[in-house]
Parts: sequence; structure tokens; C-alpha cells
Amino acid sequence: MRTSNRRRGRPATSNKLVAYLLHHIQSLVFSLGKIYHSPITTIMTVAVIGITLSLPGGFYLFLKNINAMSGDIRSTTQITLYLDIKLNEQKARALERAISKTGNVVSTEFISRQASLQAFRETSGFGRSIDTLSSNPLPHTIIVEPVSSADTFAVKNLLNALQAMPEVKIAKLDTEWLERLYTILEIAKRSVVIVTILFSIAVLLVIGNTIRLDIQNRRQEIIVTKLIGATNAFIRRPFLYGGIWYGLLGGLMSWLIVEIGYLAIAGPLNRLNLLYQADLMLITFTFQDFIILVSSSTLLGLTGSWIAVARHLNQIEPT
Amino acid sequence: MIEFQNVTKRYPGGYDALSNVSLHLAEGEMAFLTGHSGAGKSTLLKIISLIEKPTRGIAQLDKINLKTISRHRVPYLRRKIGIIFQEHHLLFDRSVFDNVALPLIIQGYRHQEIAKRTRAALDKVGLLNKEKSMPVTLSGGEQQRVGIARAVVHKPMLLLADEPTGNLDPVLSREIMQIFLDFNQVGVSVLVASHDLILIDELQKPVLTLNQGKMIHNDLNRDQYDQEVGGFRSPQVNEFSTGNW
Repeated sequence: MRTSNRRRGRPATSNKLVAYLLHHIQSLVFSLGKIYHSPITTIMTVAVIGITLSLPGGFYLFLKNINAMSGDIRSTTQITLYLDIKLNEQKARALERAISKTGNVVSTEFISRQASLQAFRETSGFGRSIDTLSSNPLPHTIIVEPVSSADTFAVKNLLNALQAMPEVKIAKLDTEWLERLYTILEIAKRSVVIVTILFSIAVLLVIGNTIRLDIQNRRQEIIVTKLIGATNAFIRRPFLYGGIWYGLLGGLMSWLIVEIGYLAIAGPLNRLNLLYQADLMLITFTFQDFIILVSSSTLLGLTGSWIAVARHLNQIEPT
Repeated sequence: MIEFQNVTKRYPGGYDALSNVSLHLAEGEMAFLTGHSGAGKSTLLKIISLIEKPTRGIAQLDKINLKTISRHRVPYLRRKIGIIFQEHHLLFDRSVFDNVALPLIIQGYRHQEIAKRTRAALDKVGLLNKEKSMPVTLSGGEQQRVGIARAVVHKPMLLLADEPTGNLDPVLSREIMQIFLDFNQVGVSVLVASHDLILIDELQKPVLTLNQGKMIHNDLNRDQYDQEVGGFRSPQVNEFSTGNW
């Protein structure tokens, strides 16, 4: 064959890489153009993906906030000692100093009867009625911070030792509700994992189905391009980029939905902060979270379209 | 270019669309394939364009066995052929230019080269002024010529046409055939399936006739021996390969 001569105009090998990359860019732009030209389909698909992904996204954010709050609680595990009401302040302060020097104690804080009453008057709303009391019903209080709240055994030992002191009326360590909280958090974490897996599969199916319909709509075009010598890779490419676009846009949309939801919650939460004098700072997506959300959504898009393309493209052959 | 030796195509159910068909179309040669509908013309073209595989016998295109070729190599062999369909199979969502440029895009030509060759092919079929039109705005004859431009834009070695004049009036049919003759003049092998016997008679090219899957008339056999021994070269072949139409 006079191959070399007649085929002179064909791209040389060095140009083939350029042409290959060029076709990738063409497919990328072409698939974007297709998305642009069928806005309704695109918006619907992207919205489904966005809403679907905003659920695990929002759930994750919720959990992250709870975790942050519980982290605060965890670091401030305290034992509260309510002293005998007959104990005078001097003796109570001496006791506090003694406790602060024992092992397993990081710090202590003394709250006098008067200070307790003052604080109660201000925060409880019973201000006036308290003034009618003949005597202060509150005891002196010592707040003890154990050395390590994670070591429950040591904390329990400390609690027992403190409880055994004759001056201490009640020693209180409320660990039960913390344990409950942690268990609930654990359940919530696993739920997020399950929800994320299920909704990711849903996104795969949605994208797969969209690409499948797209393939069917362009059946004629696929047959023609196959007949004029297109490789399967060439035909596959625009569909794969289509999936990538759907995933990327869907991921961005889910991020937007969660952020809007966050803004909607932020107002009432700030009021709650004021009411409880708490310092609850709502955490939103970090940049890293954002990247993870959008890139995994994009990956889901690519995977979904890949599955659709692998299943349906090979079935289309010229007859 | 095309070599068939006792090719049989049996479809599931035992129906033989082709039985024991032999033919040899040399490089640069042009022939017509005729026969009633159902005679096996389409099956023969489908085997050459790698849509169907022969059940028995040897079918070769450019010395490559069409039965044993791997799936992976099919697209590359198809690039050596230009196929013209009766239904011309244009893509209606893009312009005439983009339709014609498609084979070049598939083969990874560079942008400037694509523009140059596409315009040359459109010029060849007389549609250079329609490059920006959408196919749907063209007449039947024009659409068929766009299909021809797309089939020749990558300078294939072989042109296959399946009833290219099927829907056209005699004047347009003659025009289309003249385009094929022109390509053959510059060295492209051409095989045209047609039942327009009057037109075929005028053109004085070898005729193959199929009837119920059998080759009942084969003008190509007369000089087959010479071609196999000597190898067929015409002066126009070289003109084509250096030409810049």
C-alpha cells in the first residue's frame, strides 16, 4: 500500500498526544455546551443530586457541631462538692486548699454561700423571692477538676474519697448523661455513614440513568460515528465528562443548600445563645469539607456515567 | 482492495444472505453492485464495512481478514473506507461543516487541517457556500452530497455507497454518480450498490449482479488474473496522492 504517501496529511505521533488532549478539552467543552443547551434536564438532574447530597452533608455538619459542643463538656468534667451547711467559710476554704494538694486533682474553685446566692439571684429569676428568705439556704461549694476525665476509674476513686470526707455533704459527678450522650453520638455517626452510603448510591443511579437516557437519545449519532471509525474511547468521552459536570454541579448545589440551611438556623441559634448565656458557635463547612464534598460528588458523577456507558454503549452497534 | 473468496453469510435461522460469493475489486477500480432487493447487496456491503462478519469463506479488505480482525482494530480499518448511506445519516444537531469534519475530528487532525480539508471536500461536492447551514435546510440531493463530502474528507482508499441515488431524480442521480467517477479518476476504489440499471449501463463500469445471495454476473472476473499478477496502478493514482483538492 502507498500508505506513507497517501496518508501524509495524518497527524504525526508527536501531534497525536496534542490531538488527544485537544479532544479531551473538546469533549469537556462539548459536554458543557450540551448541558447549557438543555437547561431544564440539567437543572433537574443537578437539583436531585444537590438535594440528595445535602442530606448527608447537613447531617455531617450537625454531628460536627454536636461533637464540638460535647468536646467542650468532655474537657470540663467536674466534681461538685456541696459542703455541710454548718461549716464556716474559713474552714471551707482550708478544705479547698487541702483538696487542691491531693493527687489526681488539677484545680479547685471555691464558691462561697454568698456568691452562690448572688449568682442564683441573678440567673434564676427568683431575685425578689430570695430576699424574703430568712437565711441563705445554699452551702459553700467546691468545684474539683480531676486530672483526667477520660480515666473514669481514677475519677470514680477520687469521687469516693471526696464523698468519704465528713465535711462533704454531697459529691456529685454526673457521668451518666455524658455516657448517654456519647452513645447517642456514636449512633448518629453510624447513621451518617449509612445515610451517606445510601444517598451516594442514589446519586450514582440518578447520574447513571441520566447518562443512559442521553446515550439512547444520541443512538443515531453513536452509530454514525462508529461507522466512520470512532473508537469506543472517543464515543465514551463526552458522556463521561457529562457525568463529571453533573457531579460537580450537584456537589456545589448541595454545598449551597447546606450553607443556606446554616444561615437559616444561625439567627435563632444566636438568640438561644443569649438566652442560655452559652457560647455555642455553629460550625460550618471548612474549606477541606467543601473540597471533599465537591470532589466526591464529582467522582460519583464520573462513576455513575462510567457504569451507564459501560452497560449501554457497547450494545449500540451499527446494523 | 476487496477480496472475497467463497464468502457465505448465514443469519440465525439458516437463511443464507450470501452464498459462495467471490469477487476481487482491485485498488483504484470502480464497480457497480446490482440485484433485486434482498439479493444480498446490503449484506455484502455490511461485511466490507465490518458491520457483519462472514460465516464462511475469506473476506479481506486491504489484505486484512474481516472475520478474524479484533474488535479493537475495527475503528482503524473503518477509517480506510468512506461509506455513503442511502439515508445519508447526517447529524441534524450540527452544521454541514461539523458533519463533514467529523471523520477528521475522530482521527485527531489538527484544527487548521480540519478546516482546510473540510472546505476542500465541500468544494468538491459543490456545497462550499452551505458550510454554515444546518442539514435540515438542505434539499435531498444536497444532503446526499454532504454525506459524500463526509465520506471522502479523510481521503479513504475505498468508497462504499449503498443506493446513493435511491431517493433522487435522474438528473441528481447522474450528478452524484459523476462525483463517484471523479473520485475514481483520482485513484479511489469505488463500489456502488444500486438498482438504477439504466444509469449503470451508461457509465460503462464493471457490474456485479447478485441474485438470492449468489453472484450471477461478475465483470470483475475477466481481468482478475492480470490484476493479481501485475498489480493495478494507474497514473491518476499518483496525481491523487500529491493532489491538494
